[in-house]
This record gives sequence, structure tokens and C-alpha cells, in this order.
Amino acid sequence: MNKLEFRKYLKENIMVLDGATGTELQKRGMPSGVCPEKWVSENPEVLINVQREYIKAGSKVVYSCTFGGNGGKLSEFGLGHEVFEINKKLAQISKEAVLDNGFVAGDIAPTGHFIAPFGNMPFEKAVDIFKEQVKGLLAGGVDFFVIETMVDIQEARAALLAVKECCDLPVCVSMTFDESGRTLTGTDPVTAIITFQSLGADAVGCNCSTGPEDMLKVIKAMKPYAKVPLLAKPNAGLPRLIDGKTCFDMGEDEFGSYVKEFIDAGVNLLGGCCGTSPLYIEQIKNNIKGFKPKAIEPKIISCVTSSRKTVYIGANEPVAVVGERINPTGKKKLQEELKEGKTSQIRTFANEQIEKGAAILDVNVGMPGIDEKETMVNTVQFLTTTVDAPLCLDSSSPEVLEGALRIYPGRALINSISAEKTKLEKLLPIASKYGAMFILLPLNDEGVPQRAEDRFKIIEDVYEEAVKYGFSKEDIVVDGLVMTVSSDQNAAIETLKVIKWCSDIFKTGSIVGLSNVSFGLPERSWVNTAFLAMAIGNGLTMAISNPSSEILMSIKMASDVLTGKDKNSIKYIEHFGAKKSDKPATVKNVIELSTEERIYDAVVKGDTENIKNLIDTGLKEGREASFIVDKCLIPAITRVGDLYDKKEYFLPQLIQSAEAMKEGFNFVEPLLLKEDTREEKVRIVLATVKGDIHDIGKNIVGLMLKNYGFDVVDLGKDVSAQEIVKNAREKNARIIGLSALMTTTMIEMKEVVKVAKKEGLDAKIMIGGAVVDSAYAKEIGADGYSEDAYSAVKLANKLAGRA
Amino acid sequence: MCVSTLKFFENIPVVPDKNMVLTRLGYKKTKTVFDDTYRVKLDEQIKQGIGLCNTKAVFGRYKIEEWQNDAISFSKDKVFKSESVAKLLKNSLEVVLMASTVGKNITEIISDEIKNGNASFGVVLDSVASQTADGALDWMVDFINKLLRREGKKLTSKRYSPGYGDFPLLNQKEIYNILNLNKLDIEITDRYMLVPEKSVIAIAGIEGIE
Repeated sequence: MNKLEFRKYLKENIMVLDGATGTELQKRGMPSGVCPEKWVSENPEVLINVQREYIKAGSKVVYSCTFGGNGGKLSEFGLGHEVFEINKKLAQISKEAVLDNGFVAGDIAPTGHFIAPFGNMPFEKAVDIFKEQVKGLLAGGVDFFVIETMVDIQEARAALLAVKECCDLPVCVSMTFDESGRTLTGTDPVTAIITFQSLGADAVGCNCSTGPEDMLKVIKAMKPYAKVPLLAKPNAGLPRLIDGKTCFDMGEDEFGSYVKEFIDAGVNLLGGCCGTSPLYIEQIKNNIKGFKPKAIEPKIISCVTSSRKTVYIGANEPVAVVGERINPTGKKKLQEELKEGKTSQIRTFANEQIEKGAAILDVNVGMPGIDEKETMVNTVQFLTTTVDAPLCLDSSSPEVLEGALRIYPGRALINSISAEKTKLEKLLPIASKYGAMFILLPLNDEGVPQRAEDRFKIIEDVYEEAVKYGFSKEDIVVDGLVMTVSSDQNAAIETLKVIKWCSDIFKTGSIVGLSNVSFGLPERSWVNTAFLAMAIGNGLTMAISNPSSEILMSIKMASDVLTGKDKNSIKYIEHFGAKKSDKPATVKNVIELSTEERIYDAVVKGDTENIKNLIDTGLKEGREASFIVDKCLIPAITRVGDLYDKKEYFLPQLIQSAEAMKEGFNFVEPLLLKEDTREEKVRIVLATVKGDIHDIGKNIVGLMLKNYGFDVVDLGKDVSAQEIVKNAREKNARIIGLSALMTTTMIEMKEVVKVAKKEGLDAKIMIGGAVVDSAYAKEIGADGYSEDAYSAVKLANKLAGRA
Repeated sequence: MCVSTLKFFENIPVVPDKNMVLTRLGYKKTKTVFDDTYRVKLDEQIKQGIGLCNTKAVFGRYKIEEWQNDAISFSKDKVFKSESVAKLLKNSLEVVLMASTVGKNITEIISDEIKNGNASFGVVLDSVASQTADGALDWMVDFINKLLRREGKKLTSKRYSPGYGDFPLLNQKEIYNILNLNKLDIEITDRYMLVPEKSVIAIAGIEGIE
């Protein structure tokens, strides 16, 4: 069956698929725990009987019994080396079953592994695994392919590419959506239909996981956007486990009662999944009588997708901003990170741009000194796990673009394709193969035409070529090509003409990279923003810009309201309605505070940046260092302790204040030594006990103790009892602080107490950590337990007789 | 017997619950106060923390071969001796072993920040990392439940970790080996501690949906 015959059949008929196979095989003696594919290949007559029953019940198509026939699954049974032979044989068995009474669909299902970057299987390995299976099924004579029960859009893409790269037979893609209407990895039905039909699927749909009611919602969601026939294979209701067996709660009559609704919703291929049998298929056959499939009349829309989101673009949609910041030009730090394979700048730019309103992110990694293709692929993989915005793949290299498109788990936007002959010849087939939208750049081998009219001609020429590869106008967005007004004041007017022509005459969307227009001028944001407003007025649908510009984004949102694209001004109100009005600030004027109040405040608020300057001011104003310590710093940190005790402060605030205290105290301390003789600091030896590697809690306690005037000797982690006691003795410590986080290491605390006693050390021992408590402290003979850093300070004060 | 192969996740899209991040730091909704400037700073620190987590996870399903009041056996010679675990798995057909980690990068940065006088940031990162590692297990539980639903099964509502109650920490070693945690760049010490520190192991049962 070729693609034309497939489409023709589905235009006139509802294609009835089969129902569950596994349960039917079990009913006929297939033992549990065996490899079904191998068992069937050794017991072909059983499958033949099942499939003939399905044909008799009304199925026009049976699936080959190859659900687990890929290398990933067969390897679990030690049959990884028999993939081709098993698939070939199983396809032949099904062909023998149906004879001339129906078709055999080569069944392809998940490998059982997740694809990188989400999982650990490389994308190309998945493609290869599926190709091996496809070749076997082709050799067995299948009529077309069904990729089914897919929970991950990327794995389904790998299977679809595998089929497309092996043959030209029709191929259907069926995902599994749960009650929430999404796949396990978060893909919604609209994103699925747009991605797969763009990538060349001949039918798209859903199977398994839900019964008819929930599956209808998926079909209804897909239908308005479907350029291809839709497929549904619902379960027989919801599963229950009864006596160790999975059973379904919907009988065949009830199942059959949904058939008309499925046809009304626009389904073209209908069958059953788990829990169904030939009786259920018979219901479908009976209930489709007299019905024709609904016509395929999709909305004419432009859209791109990520794996979890669809962004619509067009005259009736808000202007889509493509964030331009993931581009190393002029960004030294990003350049360094790209060279080192780091991603923190990319993550920051991505998140910030989306927060500021970018709908799509442009990704350009072109710079000297890197492998652009590898960097682009890695960056795209990173972004697909980091954000859910679709990506605009920006490179002048066809190889780089193909590398990125291949692993991009959605429908991308290509930036860009021009009329330059060699690039056009290379890029159109690539864009077509991966189903991408593209930005049409109206320049050719002679350069950028100055006049708009000359650009129209190039646009028409590129479009004419693109049509040959199956593109329509909604798959293209034309770049208005903004030139610099400082060198040619007519440049912006020519660009606006292109935008208007695209909107009114040629009927495509348009896009501009805004910042170029103002190059060389001062205060560029005014020119950029004015140009954006004018371009939107002329019909612009997309803009490549930095969404961090508040004025630009505000004008965009206002323009969306004025052009009626922001329906009921919802987005505008959401954005600006949430902003606080510009009330005058009611903050107390800090200048009115005295210097000691400001020092006190700096500790209470944890202002590490200003504490030293404030103390310096206080000293210059004639205050004694001891006055600053006794009247400002100590009262302030005591106040912080009170606030923490009352839970008005939480841990980061307590530590931040302690850090400000430390900063201030370190600054003033040398002066104190000159001034007076203060009480000698109490020395504490701190350690995480032997075998324990957790030291964050102990480090925090050490920091707090230091800031409260203790002399802390931190021995680190995994320290033996002997070492701790030895150090305590040598350093004349009055207190030993022990930390342990695990039940297996807390026993070491007892050992420390034992060794200390044995050696007659008179230091007090305090303990802390997630698994210990005051009862344990008492049990092992320690002198106290503290539950957190601040209570450790209080306990240490008490043990040192300072409380 | 292993019901299916180990499932590895190299990038779990988990965003830790901000309220839980704050609660771990002692934040009390009705008592703790801070101004807008601090709130913005804290939000920024939490975001940075999320960005530093490289969250990975793995799980495997194993048929329970024998159940006793104080032990379960699975996967031929593997036994968990614990009344609490046996109670948890009383109605289970299978046991699910799972683990998650946020990677060593954030752990190193936490340590550096605390040592270099920015401990207030360090403790926020520490809380984000702990919550993200736990959040990864929550995400995986949700993921596994969606997978199981098709079989008419679900995970037990609670999960258990070695080191709690009567389930000794030494079981971490057994689970570490079964789940091949070295593939997630996790190591285990001779005292059964996981390195990086922000790594978590848990077990749950698979039951039928009634």
C-alpha cells in the first residue's frame, strides 16, 4: 500500500484496526514470562487464528506481533541478535493470516529505554535499533507501519525517522496520553500532531492508557490542526488488578457506543487496545456502517513546537518575540563557556528571556575555535531539558542546522534560508525532511537588494522552490531585512514595505531583527521601539530582539491590544495589572539614623557590604572600638538571636547577620587589642566523626561559633576519636563539638567520649546532627546536644560558663 | 527476578517546591519576615541553586518472591530484613528500587560558599539541593504511577529509605549495586554513605488498583 492509496482509502472509509493481541495469545496458551515474539514465531498457528478472528470481526488491518520486536526489548530475552529474522517471520505470519482480506501494519513500539538528553540512550542508537526492526518487517512484507504506545516524543521521532529512512511506505504515529491529556514526558495532543505531521507521519493518533471517553478528548484536540488522518485505539475502560491479572471494566457494547462520537470527532483509523477482543472490533464494524470520515480541513496556521508546547504565529496572534541573547557575538563570558562546554550562561539567558516574554529562543553558537555542529547539538539538547519554549536554530551552515534539527524534539524554526543558490539547494531538503518552519531571507548571491520590490521577487523565487519540497506559505516567515538607517535613511521604509507586502499581498508572516535599524545612533532603544511599533502597524508577526528591554516589550504588548491580537487585552492586563502602582517610597530615611544605629541595623539586616564603612565612620566620629562592639555589634547579634528564636528570622537571615557581624568584628578587632584586654576567647574543637563525610552542618555551627566570639578549630570530617582528643588536648580546647549525620556513624561519638574520659581530658563534649538527640547525648555521656547552629552557640556559652 | 531493565533518567525536569526549600531552612509562614529586597535576593539564590543541580535518577522493578512479617526476598538471593519494610510491602507484588542525585557540582559549590564567607547563600543552595533530590524521587514516583496505571497497578503511597527505623543503612550498598549507581556518578563509602551527599535511595511497593 503506497501513501496515495493509504490516503485515498482513508478519505472514503473508516479503517478498522485490530484489538489486543497479547491477551488473546494468553487465552490460547501463551505462557506468562516468555518472549511473545519468539513464542509466536514458534507457534504461528495461534497468531494466525487470533488475527483471522479479528479480520472476521471486521478489522481491515492487523498489527504484526512485533510490539517487543525491537533490539532493546528482544535483548532482554537474549534475542538481540535475531531482530531481523524474528520481525521478518512475524510479518510473514500476519500476511498469511490476513491473505487478501486486509492489511498488515508493521508494529513498532518503545525500546524500554529513554532517549538522551532525558534518558541515557543516544538518539542515533534509537534510530538504528528501529531501523533494524523496520528492515525485518519490510522483508516480511508489511503494508505500512504503525509506531504505537509511545510515551516519549523523542523516541517516536527516532522511530519515524527510521521508517522514513528505510522506505516510502505510509507510517502512523500513535502516542499514549494519560487522563491529564499529556504523555508521560509532557507532550500535549496538539504539539504531537503538529510535530509528527511536519516530520512526515501519514496518520497521527493515540492508543492505550485511557478508555474511549478520555481518548475522544485527545482526538478532538488534534482534529483542528490535523493535516493527516487521525488514529485511535482506546482501552476497554480502566484497568483493575484482579487475582494478579489486569482486567478492564468496559464491556463491548459500551465500547461500541463511542464509535459514532469518534467519527464525529474526526477519527479515520479506529481499533482497540488493552482489554479489547474481536467482540469489541465487531462493535466498531457494526457501528461505523453508513458513516463517512470527516473531511480533513485543518486551520491554516503557522506554529512551532518544543516537546511540551506549541507557539502559534500569525496575523491573528500576538507578535511572537524570538529572544536573541543566546549568541556569543560580543559576549566574552558566553564564548568562554561555549569553548569549555559549560551551560550556566545559556541557562541564565534562556530563563531570563522567557521570564521577560520571549515566546521562542534563537540559538546561535557560531564563533571561532569551536566545533559549531557539536556545540549546537549540545546546546539544543541542554535547552530542550531546561525550558519549554520552542527553539529557532540560527546558523549559516546547513550541516549545523541538520545536526540540530535531527535531535530537536519538536518543530523548530530555521534562521534562515535565502536565495543563495548553494545554500538554498542544501537547506530546503533538510528543512523539508525535518518538517521545520523557516525564515526566508530575501537576499541572493548578489547581496541584499535595496528596494523592496526587488526583495519581493527573491521571496517569490524562494517560495516557488520551497513549494516543490511541500512547503506552504504558513510554513514560512519572511525576514523584512532591516538595514541601518544611519547609513541609509530610506532603509527602514523599504523594510516596512516588505512587511506590508507580506501581510497584504503575499500572505505570509514576517519577522525583523530589530537592533540593526539603530546601529550607529545614540539612545538606540527609542529607534528600535519606534520601528517595532511601525512594523507591527504594517503587519509584522514576529520580532527577533532582546526581551529584557522593558520599553520594547511594553510597546509590543500595547500594540497587540491595539491590533486586536491580544484578545480582550488579557495578556496586557495580566502583565500590567499585576504591577504595583508607583506609590512614593515610605522607607525610613537612613540618613536620619545615628551611626551606631546604622551599624546595629547593618548587623540585624546582614549588610556585609556596608558594615566596615559604617564602623569606619563611627570610629572617625570619635567612638571607641569597644563602644562599637559592646553597644552596636553585640546587642545587634543578640537581637538577631532573639528574632531567630521567635522564628521571625530563618537560617539564611541568621547566618547573613552572623557574616555581617564577623565582617564588622574582624575590622574592629585589631583596635580592640590596642585598647583593652578583653576576656580570652573560649576554644572549641569541631569535627565530623570517623566514617562520616557530611560537614555542611558542622561548618555552619563553626561559622556561628566564630561569629559569637569562640576560637574555633575545625578538624574537618571523617576524624577518628584519637585524633579529636589529641587535638583538643594540644590546643587546650574547653569544648569539643561533634557532628554525625548517619546512624552508622553516630556511634563514633560514644568512642570520642570514651577516649576523652580514659585520657582524663576535662573538655566538655557537645553533639549535633540529624540522627542524634539529647537522650543520645545523655546515653553516651556527652555534656549536651544542640539541634541547630544557634542553639549550638547557646549551648557552647553555657558549657563555657558564659551564659 | 527483574521485571524490566533499569530505567535511567539523565535530566529530570524537577523544580523543587519553593515552600519546602524555605521550610527546610526554618521558614515559618506566619512568623518569619523579610522585606522585598531580601525576597528578590532569595528568589535569585533559589534559581541559581536549581540551575546548579544536574538531576539524574534510576529505578528498577523486582518481583517479590517471599514475604514474611520481618523480611522480604526478591531477585533470587536478595533479602531486606525489616519489619517496617515488610509492613510497607504487605500487599505488594513487586518492589521498586529507586535513586536520585543532583550531582557533585552543587555540593562542591555549597562547600566553597560556606568556606568563603558566603554561608547564607550556601545554606540556601544546600536546601535547594536536598529538596531537588527528594523532588526527583517524587517526580519518579509520579512517572512510575502513570506507567503502572495501564497495568491496573500503583505504587504504595509511602516509600522507605535505608537508615530509617529498623531498615539498616547497610542496605544502601545492596541497592547501590542493584541499581548500578556508579552509572549516575554516585559512589558509596565503606560506611554506606552516598557521594555526592545529595543523593537519595528509596524503595516502594507495587500494588493492584482495587
